[in-house]
Amino acid sequence: MEMLSSIFTYSLLHATLRMSTPVILATMAAVVSRQGGITNIGIEGTMLFGAYFGFVSAYVSGSWIWGLAASVLAGVLASAVIGVVHLKYNTHIFVTGFAVNMLALGLTRFLLQQMFHVSGALLVDRPVTLPILRLSIAEGNPITASLFSSYSLFEPLAPLLVAGVWYGLYRTSAGLRLRSVGLHEPAARTAGIDVRRTKMAAILLSGVFAGMAGAHLSMGYSSMFVENMTNGRGFMALAAANFGGGNPLYACLGCLVFGFSDSVAIRLQSTGFPAQFVLMIPYLVTVVVLTSAMIGHLRRSDAARIARKLADEVRVDGKHADKTW
Amino acid sequence: MNRRINLSYGLNFILSLLLPFMLGAIIIALLGHDPQEAFRELFRGAFVGRLSLGTTLQKWVPVLLTGLAFCITSQVRYFNIGVEGCFYMGALFSAGAGFLITGLPAYLHISLCFLVGIFAGAIWATIPGMLRAWWQVNESCSTIMFNYVAIQFASFMIVNPWSAKSAASQTVPILPSAALSRLMPPSRANSGLFMALTLYIVVFWAIKKTRLGFKLRSTGGNPFFTDYIGFDTRRIVVLATAISGAVGGFAGSIETLGVYGNIIDGFSGWVAFDGMLAALISKNNLWLLPVYSFMIAALKTGALGMERFTGVPKALIDTLIAILIIFLTMENLFRFRFSRREGGTK
Repeated sequence: MEMLSSIFTYSLLHATLRMSTPVILATMAAVVSRQGGITNIGIEGTMLFGAYFGFVSAYVSGSWIWGLAASVLAGVLASAVIGVVHLKYNTHIFVTGFAVNMLALGLTRFLLQQMFHVSGALLVDRPVTLPILRLSIAEGNPITASLFSSYSLFEPLAPLLVAGVWYGLYRTSAGLRLRSVGLHEPAARTAGIDVRRTKMAAILLSGVFAGMAGAHLSMGYSSMFVENMTNGRGFMALAAANFGGGNPLYACLGCLVFGFSDSVAIRLQSTGFPAQFVLMIPYLVTVVVLTSAMIGHLRRSDAARIARKLADEVRVDGKHADKTW
Repeated sequence: MNRRINLSYGLNFILSLLLPFMLGAIIIALLGHDPQEAFRELFRGAFVGRLSLGTTLQKWVPVLLTGLAFCITSQVRYFNIGVEGCFYMGALFSAGAGFLITGLPAYLHISLCFLVGIFAGAIWATIPGMLRAWWQVNESCSTIMFNYVAIQFASFMIVNPWSAKSAASQTVPILPSAALSRLMPPSRANSGLFMALTLYIVVFWAIKKTRLGFKLRSTGGNPFFTDYIGFDTRRIVVLATAISGAVGGFAGSIETLGVYGNIIDGFSGWVAFDGMLAALISKNNLWLLPVYSFMIAALKTGALGMERFTGVPKALIDTLIAILIIFLTMENLFRFRFSRREGGTK
């Protein structure tokens, strides 16, 4: 009981948002590409590029704005590679995505060795980080301070971004076009939509979000660059997008579940529970969440299928009525 | 297929192969090293001498087998990223069997260790397989998550119950009766190589020539048709994942019993991803898989030698392998129009 009360405190809310934010940003990348019918498995590597170039250019220039710009640029470039190779040269997106992930791992390690002569992690004396938002009214009380103050730039922005992506996808004509490409390509083509261009735009936008996620990872969530610091978050983002069925709001909910289990996991660790089992929790939660989402989805689509079949039966007018079922 | 188109295909292949190396040469030159010397050391590090060649062969085994495991599930269109987890499980449990079971003659002990590893891998792969078969849970997500769970579980067993209590986190070494024999003594190549090749041939034959193989290929070709002619596609998918996991577990067992003699935390370094990439660039063509997996193993081994003797970092070779894969999989990167009449076919 005492253990539980030490885990579930008011500060868990801030911790959950903190742990979720990198995944939420990456999930927006996954959602945008998923709606265009692409499982962008290269988000992991794109994020890593964003994290590296953001951190380094912020350190070199001394300004987080340049760092963020470099992150986004790196994300866009990496996803442009994915887009051109996948769409123009007809490769399997998984192959290209994995190759880009591998490229990101190798190249960041290589650059780390060549530019800073370190391997593993890049720690600097005065790291440049994204601004931390402080609310001076809330600072007086520890509870309100924890709830409302000292958020890194992207932590309050992430929910707004989710809302923005939702609006873009479901309330604008560009979003409608993107979704129609993802839903049924030939129909979209018939309607006069340039499918390849739309997909490319989706991949590039996904690169912007993945770059931002990387920037947050190395300059907001932590203030250093570590080799392979994305550590499966890109894949988790894909899982969250899958869970939400491409809807950013539900996908964000999935991210919060990961963030929550992650922050509970960290607290469990301090109670002497074996660390490895704690570290498994977010991954297991992902699988459970995915499975439960699919079971729910299948129930709904089963109902839809039966309704369709009934409609078909009426339409065939008894011609094939003996073998419709 | 037209011969001229094949010529274009071959040229495309060779250029795709050369371009990353040319890029590498330029980067090496920019770093202030001699590219010719670096590539010579790369070659020597991979092939010249018992140690180099043996290490290449030793590294070839897991890449080949994990690639094979990936190909098996690809037959039923199941994108199995989870071979790494099976690899860990196989290695972990055969390490456990290797030191916990005592007083057996070598052939029995080794077979038992392999059996344990194979079962561990098969069971581990079957879980996401069942999730996919019954509830259509996207396997490319769930298998990745299972990898991380397997790695954490292995790490727990290595650090806590089975720990050797030494400075490095590793398990108690296996008994001599469980160890595979070494082939080229200074290197760690072992008789697992022959087992791997035998398994490769058996699986190849099974996929192409047996009833089971037909079921797998038919499910991948058209699951609805396969269902219609009376095969239970769900069971076939689960079976494919089990076989794939068994092969992955077998690869892990070879690593433990033949190479390391115990299991060290984080020993694999995502080797199954190398295998998967070998399978992906060979486009699940089982003839090409050994070639590509050998190429990846040789590059990785050679990179070590190159780093040691010329100072060109190994990370550069990892980068070049990634670029190589991107180029190799691109269709018609370099377009050659040898035949105008056939222009429309591609």
